Amino acid sequence: MKSLDEILQNNITGMYYGNRVLLPFHFIALKIVIEKDIITDFSIREKGAYVNEHPDFTEIYFMDYPELETNISKYENIKLVIVEKGKDIFDFNTHRKIAIRPEGNHILSIKELDENTIFIE
Amino acid sequence: MIIKKLFSLIILALVLISFSAEIKAFDQNVSDTSAVIESSVLNDSEEYQLPSVFMVIPFIILLLMIATGPLFYHHFWEKYYPLISVLLGLVTVFYYLIFLNDTHSLLHTATEYISFIALLSSLFVASGGILIRVDKKSTPWLNAGILLFGSVIANIIGTTGASMLLIRPFIKINKHRIKPYHIIFFIFLVSNIGGCLTPIGDPPLFLGFLRGVRFFLVIQEVWYIWLPTVLLVTAVFIYFDSRNKSDVEDTNEYSGKIEFKGMKNVLYLLVIIISVFIDPAVMSWVPSLSPLPIGLREIIMFSVVVIAYKTASEDILKANEFNFEPIKEVAYLFVGIFATMIPALQLISYEANVLGEKLTPGIFYWATGSLSAFLDNAPTYLNFLSAAMGKFGMNVNLPSEVLRFEKLHPIYISAVSVAAVFFGAMTYIGNGPNFMVKSISERSGIRMPSFFGYMLKYSIPILLPIFTLVWLVFYFGKV
Repeated sequence: MKSLDEILQNNITGMYYGNRVLLPFHFIALKIVIEKDIITDFSIREKGAYVNEHPDFTEIYFMDYPELETNISKYENIKLVIVEKGKDIFDFNTHRKIAIRPEGNHILSIKELDENTIFIE
Repeated sequence: MIIKKLFSLIILALVLISFSAEIKAFDQNVSDTSAVIESSVLNDSEEYQLPSVFMVIPFIILLLMIATGPLFYHHFWEKYYPLISVLLGLVTVFYYLIFLNDTHSLLHTATEYISFIALLSSLFVASGGILIRVDKKSTPWLNAGILLFGSVIANIIGTTGASMLLIRPFIKINKHRIKPYHIIFFIFLVSNIGGCLTPIGDPPLFLGFLRGVRFFLVIQEVWYIWLPTVLLVTAVFIYFDSRNKSDVEDTNEYSGKIEFKGMKNVLYLLVIIISVFIDPAVMSWVPSLSPLPIGLREIIMFSVVVIAYKTASEDILKANEFNFEPIKEVAYLFVGIFATMIPALQLISYEANVLGEKLTPGIFYWATGSLSAFLDNAPTYLNFLSAAMGKFGMNVNLPSEVLRFEKLHPIYISAVSVAAVFFGAMTYIGNGPNFMVKSISERSGIRMPSFFGYMLKYSIPILLPIFTLVWLVFYFGKV
């Protein structure tokens, strides 16, 4: 399993199919912003997003966005605050802000959010 | 797709109606009218039939749904609000077409709506191509300075322009300590109260200017109300912000630099601001495109939308995460609001004219204010200006009488202007930029209060006492 840093450095992409996103690393999601939906409740009682870990990847289902490719506009990203699995979740320095977006043909770009993009944890 | 088709249908219907309205305008008889009122606001000499009071229901339903949708049935609302807004708007449109045979009110509303969207969308797109980076540590005084700066420039580039230009840098500066109150005070000052000094500041004042109110009259009559109000709201903000200690762990080093990218978009902003005056009522050489519900001004603004978007730097658009959703949201919601509020405005106009003689500047202040919080403040302003002038036997449609009125009774213009602009801050729907600022903030990850939360936690406890103070000091007991 690759680390997030390896993925970012080597521009490794994820995948998406409809409302399902597959990311090639393990993480714990703390906050997701998709469009103007701010999702912080990942329990099964909430419909916003369902995060599921597999041995080789982590998947997220966005319940309110059946087709991510058409739901996410040209310059917009899905923004996540995550902690890589194995890192101390209580240390704020381990919290990473990443942006993912569907690029077409099921390819999902994964980038670290730069200083210019506003994303409040 | 259905929603888009319905949206296009409502606009197309209004445009087609406008042609037929123009043809019929000369020989249109308003017959068997038990309650026909002279419209001093909608048209110089047109008469229209008063709508049934029950036709306010679609407007109330829409307002209630805007208030409760995101709170209690979020998923349904997010999916269907365009459809709901357009359908409720169509109820009013068909009522006016079939039962009142009043195409003029619809045409007038379509014209105002198109102007509204042209201004908002052009400012939104032009400012979306500007990137301001302020590398300074957030402090209550820096924030207060930005809010004051925004309040001043709102009078030069409009409340919408100032809001769109400053909201992103304001969020960025405060990224380590941002709370919803930051955004709410921004809405209070930059998106509303600030723009009370000039006709460019807020649409109602511009409508007054088009009717003949001198450009500098508002600044002359309002600055001494504007200044203490802005300072008082800023002082409350500083109090709130000083208690926010969330940045104790911010150990970043700041260069103090301010970086500005996208200079050509400043030029586009300038074009938009100049185009505001390209109106046959202001410049006689400007051709009127009547009966089209669009003028040269709107054509310029929509052209700016296209040019500014096509020529914007990709990097800036990416950094701003530019997308059309916030303006689409405003366009869909306000098409319903504009259409469904026609009966409400006509009934208010009628009542204001009937009761005009009994109304004091204080009552005009509260009446204009309380309605501007929920209705579009531009027609509300004109209705009450018309009623105030009617009280002294003057007609709002005659520029010479407007000029005489502002000299003899400036306090009435002051009360109506201040209330129409200030009270727009009372709700999310009180003024166009409020919703856009909210939407941009939410996309940045800031959880904003609901419609009621905004009112109950912020606007009622903070603004209402300040507005009451304004009334007590400047309008109470005046006749």
